[in-house]
Amino acid sequence: MKTFAELNFPGRLVAVEGLDGSGKSTQIYLLKRWLELQGMKVYFSEWNSSELVKSATSKGKKRELLTPTTFSLIHATDFADRYERHLVPLLRAGYLVLCDRYIFTAFARDVVRGCPPEWVRGLYSFAALPDLTFFFKSDLEVSLQRILDGRPQLKYFEAGMDLRLSTDLYESFRIFQGRILEQYLAMSTEFNFLVVDANELVEKQQEVVRELVAQNVNLASFRRAERLPARPTPAPQPKAVKPEEPAE
Amino acid sequence: MRRVPANQIVVPHRSNRRFYGHGIPKVDLERLAGKLIVVEGADGSGRSTQIAMLVEWLEGTGHATVQVGLKRSTLVSEELEKAQQGNILSRSTLSLFYATDFADQLENIILPALKSGFIVLADRYIYTLMARDMVRGMDEAWLKNLYGIALEPDAVFYLNVPPEELVQRSFAKNTALDYWESGMDLGMSRDMFDSFMKYQKTMQKTFRHLQASYAFTIVDGTRQAEIINAELRKKISAVLAGR
Repeated sequence: MKTFAELNFPGRLVAVEGLDGSGKSTQIYLLKRWLELQGMKVYFSEWNSSELVKSATSKGKKRELLTPTTFSLIHATDFADRYERHLVPLLRAGYLVLCDRYIFTAFARDVVRGCPPEWVRGLYSFAALPDLTFFFKSDLEVSLQRILDGRPQLKYFEAGMDLRLSTDLYESFRIFQGRILEQYLAMSTEFNFLVVDANELVEKQQEVVRELVAQNVNLASFRRAERLPARPTPAPQPKAVKPEEPAE
Repeated sequence: MRRVPANQIVVPHRSNRRFYGHGIPKVDLERLAGKLIVVEGADGSGRSTQIAMLVEWLEGTGHATVQVGLKRSTLVSEELEKAQQGNILSRSTLSLFYATDFADQLENIILPALKSGFIVLADRYIYTLMARDMVRGMDEAWLKNLYGIALEPDAVFYLNVPPEELVQRSFAKNTALDYWESGMDLGMSRDMFDSFMKYQKTMQKTFRHLQASYAFTIVDGTRQAEIINAELRKKISAVLAGR
């Protein structure tokens, strides 16, 4: 498997991975804002968001129709749709594509659900690897608390209830997330995850993320052409600007 | 047809079951007592007629049957139909969508029915899905991994009818050729008739290629329905008897 850079795409793909509640969505949102405010060609794509597949996925989840195999396949269908219709064309057009979860989410979850790892990896073998993958590594308890604080109504599949780990929703969620974390850690080296300490403050994490993106991606090449005349010398931002300075 | 007296109903012989690849997690193959019979072939090759006749015969001889086919899953059949009408999905997506439809029926109909000792008649199986994708340039190894979830059937019959006759049958029935069965999405020809002929020829070639990996019986589908059915019944009887 190769990255988009290795495949000579003009675009670059940055993915974030981590447990539910690890704060990865906040981090990729702040990264997106930072890039957009500099007039970059940015596209953001979320896991499980393809319009076409959505109705089938939500039907399957609502009625608890999904088995590990169909759960895996329907998410692969969703991914393929976004990959072929959005990600690849945008990467060909030289966009900086940000993905909230990528194939590693499937590698971790589907395997925990009991699908053979080689089969799952085979399903996704049409996809190239991200140029950068951030893994937001949080203590299990911290992630759990974040989810449980904000959204006390856990969903059936989110809690891994289909695995019959426990009859208690919260206990099931704990065990399930713990196993997913193990899977993530096991592939961290193989897929060159850039590990970010997700127990840190939002700003600290964002600083790390922006610095790593700036180091590894030639950001200048992603500026929109039409913005150039208006901003001949955009303010250089080697260091992260903290996203939310308290108002004076 | 030879009449089997009610007290002499043949109890199907247990077969050695296997999945083509990784299979479905946590399935006890030993417990799948029923039989899986697949009828493959192009549209107009007479699949549904043959299956209807087989159901009559099987039920008459004391066997419970269940029928499955492509695009019939509770999970995604509607969405798949919609997506196909708009022709908006790209190859891997459509392929995975069909695989989801297949897996849903495999796990929720085929496997439970086999466990209960039913004879499952499948109106097409993974081979059509694979052939369609291969004709469209998808990687064979990728498809083999994908459909490694499938259970190996007890018998697969491919009803072989040359494109020249398929086209006649299609017109006799619908007075129009189907967009997908003509492979119009491939852009082989703007002329639908030409495209149909080319596409069906390529599909037949691909089926012959797949036969090397997935041994199936090629049946001459140009003969009378009763004659074809007699051949199928004879072969299925042998399967039931474990011969």
